Amino acid sequence: MDADYWSFESCLAEQARLPCTLKLDVEGHGHLLGANESDLHVGAKVSIPMWLAPTLILNDWLDFNIPPPFMQRVKRALNANARSVRLSTLVGNGGEWYGFGKLVADVLEESQAKELQAVLLTTFKERFVDLMDQAQHFGGIPSSAGADSMGDTGADFREGLEMTERELFLLAQESAKAVRLWYESTDRKEH
Amino acid sequence: MALPANLMRSPLPAELEFIALQQTDILIRPHFSMGKIRLLSGSYGPFRATANIEVPLWVGKYMKQQGKCSLIPPVWLSVEWLEEKLRQEISRPEEFAPLPFRFAEIAKVFLDIAADDVPSPERVRSLLKDLREVRQAKTRKGLALLDEMELRMTGLGSMEINELRPFLTRAMGVMRVLASEPEVPASTADNTFVTSMDDGW
Repeated sequence: MDADYWSFESCLAEQARLPCTLKLDVEGHGHLLGANESDLHVGAKVSIPMWLAPTLILNDWLDFNIPPPFMQRVKRALNANARSVRLSTLVGNGGEWYGFGKLVADVLEESQAKELQAVLLTTFKERFVDLMDQAQHFGGIPSSAGADSMGDTGADFREGLEMTERELFLLAQESAKAVRLWYESTDRKEH
Repeated sequence: MALPANLMRSPLPAELEFIALQQTDILIRPHFSMGKIRLLSGSYGPFRATANIEVPLWVGKYMKQQGKCSLIPPVWLSVEWLEEKLRQEISRPEEFAPLPFRFAEIAKVFLDIAADDVPSPERVRSLLKDLREVRQAKTRKGLALLDEMELRMTGLGSMEINELRPFLTRAMGVMRVLASEPEVPASTADNTFVTSMDDGW
């Protein structure tokens, strides 16, 4: 979920495709844009991977639509309760909802971009406290804190995590585990 | 990088314990008499049986494990003090009760190897556990206020900070990217391709 050249996550986020409409004729290169015929004309619909889209859009060769994971319907659901939206189903398994969203925001106009970024940020903030909670109490740590308030919704929430969140989940889980193991370890001499 | 990923993210709890062993001075009551010993880290002693003397925690731990002394627990490692702090912790939901920075590590060492020197160790242990849980709940509340710029939580112990560190730094990194200004390729009339990527962070 960063823009680092070497980051696998950002590579994955850039694989997501953006639905676009052509603004110029493309003769003989349709295959490159993932279409079936080789000649494409103005108004043809193509989906362009996110790594290619910014250049084409800023050169005014394409118009694009906001992709499904960030449409109004999703935003409304997120507004109602960010924790109950399953981000993983929006971007497919192993998808990067936040990374993709940021890339989309980068090609949007300023006001729209601001709005989308705000949605991304609020969603992240609303979800990540639960995320940490779940990570600390999931995995056989007997504790009263997480279980009663979450119950079954916890499992749903975990399955709905997208890639960046999964990574964070693992981080929190690992450090909770390390601390727990340390508390259980002992230097006492065996008798 | 040469280190495995989990070692790069933050110190291990055992490493923090090691630091606490080096940095903390405690009182011990030796069961033997001996002159000064000089080590690279300093001189300790002379030891006289039943006369309290201050040494680093690691010296105390070593001697205790040899059965050569008893450790005198710090004032805060007692039922009354901890009960008082637990009360504070519960009655003031918006701040952390002031505990020694490395309380978790020091308490663990004491309860682990010198439980017989701590008065009512079981009660102390359960108080520490209660404290830990109350403070974790507070941390959780504090995290809800996190934004991409800063997080203020005063009074956390080193172990608590360390437990949060990998998760928190990553989460703030993600937020920073999400809140960052778009860095778009300059619109070019020719076919020069310009990278749309940040330099990373």
